[in-house]
Amino acid sequence: GACRVSMSMTEIRAGFTAIKANIQARDPIRTLSILSHPHSLHKVKSSDRCCITHHLFNFYVDKVFKHCKTEDSYVNRKISSIANSFLSVRRKLGHCHEQNQCICGQESTEKLKQILANYEGLNVTSAAMKSLGELDILLDWMEKSH
Amino acid sequence: EDALLPAPQNISILSTNMKHFLTWSPVIVQGETVRYSVEFQGEYEREYTNESWLPIPECSLIPGTVCDISEDISAPVAYSLRVRAHSGARRSPWGAMQGLFNRSTTSLTPPLMKVIADGYHLLVELEDMGPAFQFCVLYWKKGQERRVQQKVVTEVRSAAHLDTMEAGADYCVRAQTYVEVINKSSSFSQTQCVRAQGDKSMWL
Repeated sequence: GACRVSMSMTEIRAGFTAIKANIQARDPIRTLSILSHPHSLHKVKSSDRCCITHHLFNFYVDKVFKHCKTEDSYVNRKISSIANSFLSVRRKLGHCHEQNQCICGQESTEKLKQILANYEGLNVTSAAMKSLGELDILLDWMEKSH
Repeated sequence: EDALLPAPQNISILSTNMKHFLTWSPVIVQGETVRYSVEFQGEYEREYTNESWLPIPECSLIPGTVCDISEDISAPVAYSLRVRAHSGARRSPWGAMQGLFNRSTTSLTPPLMKVIADGYHLLVELEDMGPAFQFCVLYWKKGQERRVQQKVVTEVRSAAHLDTMEAGADYCVRAQTYVEVINKSSSFSQTQCVRAQGDKSMWL
């Protein structure tokens, strides 16, 4: 169903761009992807987009950001900025979900299961850092498909 | 020994046009230089990382009692702030700001504006207040106050063209700032009016 949520993509992108190289440099396993394996997010049907977006924001808020603490204060501050922005958007998406505007179909449920399997296949810090490094995959998909 | 150094008091935020400054009262210790360190915490840190705090290196061991926290107040959530004093090897307890701070409470001021009559062209130069700012500009021909026109200006590095004026007529302009990430506008500026150049007489 339709679910309109306002979010400041510009701010989130600016925060991520500022630390992207640093974060991706911490991810030794470049051959694996958490969000795009085995299929790209771009293959998700439009009817499933709201569900995938909602659950991916839950994924990042609940599982990813808190395991991404680094020794670099600047990086930590940018992660905090992104995490707090995601928390704000996640709350709005939650309202949509409660009003049944964000139905999960079979395909999106499978996709989410695959993402969690990819994530749990690594140790938590590596998985969290890799997921954070793939944030632009999510942001690109959101901008392209919404 | 640390307990002798009192925590900073009167911690508050002055926020105007999305620039947020944390301020506090100085801790006075006779004959000693007191320095201060600031930390912040967003809603995410309160809920998901055991209420952890993040230091602001630009405001670590500073002698002053003001810290620009704009860079870190960068999400639409409520933030906590705290400050502590240092004197030599001694540190005070943390002094916490009363309540939380959300950037949507920033006060927005109307933009500085210069209205220009360039021949028959009505132009406006607007203050560069930062990437988060847009401007809603209202303009009308004097005497036709019921036919006000509106233009949203996002690019301020050059003058914005508003209208082509009738010869010799007076045109008036006023503007307000708008910040999309907090969905908030300022009050309108003072009205400024200019006159278009008169008709040029033609030698036939």
